[in-house]
Amino acid sequence: MRRRTTTRAGALLALLLAGTAGVAGCTGDDAAPEDVSATTVRVLVRDINLRPVGADCAGTGGYQYFHHKAPFRVLDGEDRALVTGTLPAGTAVAVFDEDLGVERVPTYCEFAVPVSVPQRAAYRLEVAGKPAHDLTSDSSEGPALVAVVP
Amino acid sequence: MTRRRLLPLLLALLLAGTAGVAGCTGDPAEPAPPPPAGGAAALPGPVPTDLALRPAPEGAPAAPAFTGTLTDGTPLTAAQLWADRPVVLTFFSSWCTICADRQDALSELAATYRDRVVFVGVAAVDQPDDLQEYLRAHRVAYPVVVDEEQAIWRSYAVREPPAVVIVAKGGALLRGWPGGIEVADLDQRLRELVLAETP
Repeated sequence: MRRRTTTRAGALLALLLAGTAGVAGCTGDDAAPEDVSATTVRVLVRDINLRPVGADCAGTGGYQYFHHKAPFRVLDGEDRALVTGTLPAGTAVAVFDEDLGVERVPTYCEFAVPVSVPQRAAYRLEVAGKPAHDLTSDSSEGPALVAVVP
Repeated sequence: MTRRRLLPLLLALLLAGTAGVAGCTGDPAEPAPPPPAGGAAALPGPVPTDLALRPAPEGAPAAPAFTGTLTDGTPLTAAQLWADRPVVLTFFSSWCTICADRQDALSELAATYRDRVVFVGVAAVDQPDDLQEYLRAHRVAYPVVVDEEQAIWRSYAVREPPAVVIVAKGGALLRGWPGGIEVADLDQRLRELVLAETP
């Protein structure tokens, strides 16, 4: 009886030590958290649909998968996921910079998602599991990664 | 000797377990799951005998007729609904923010006109669970067609939710609002276009 208890205690100690070693391994240099930068993923879906400017919108036609609550992933150049989340509603932006005198005018649907990403040479945006779109750095209106679709 | 004692005991336990399982399947206290929102239970009752309607304007185009399937699989033929009363079609998706903002008031309006004017939701680009959550959260008590292939959306030129269409009794297409319409305005339009009475 005593011998069996001793054996179990030894096994538990071994497991504990192995676990501690494992945890120690996780905190090594390989898993050190990377520095991340705040930016905004901006996607302009050029679907040219009639909407009031500023209204909530979703993509239309072949881009219906761009909509509020659609799952997205920001990928690096090797298709590793850096950020996951769901899209907010899009916002309708005017196609033409002139007053057409009507409430509903030709618009694109723009999505803006604040994210924090580590530095990478390339970024891509995947929405709802569809083929990813290349993102390009643009600082004209603050740090942003932008895509224009199509 | 030990095996001889254990065998009857195991058999008794097995039988008791089987009886327990049988008892579970016939438990009268087990509540039945609620029927899906937007299904057959949401179809309208008989047309009120005192329903007074305005005549549809001459030359109004015919609304695209369609058949579809409700959230619980019940088939629906739109022309059967508008054969004897006006119909309001509401095109929506559960993720549509404008739809959600207006849905509570729309559900109330539909209840006000129940059996006089039939509201029919037409949902697309959606997931069944998300759709049910939306319908229950906004107390949608009218039938909802799941337009999985968006054939109905296309026939009404709906590119994006919301959109609202009024169809007169008999099937004349009276008005449509891509982008939807505020519920108070829809109520006003129903009184102007189809109803010759105040509910």
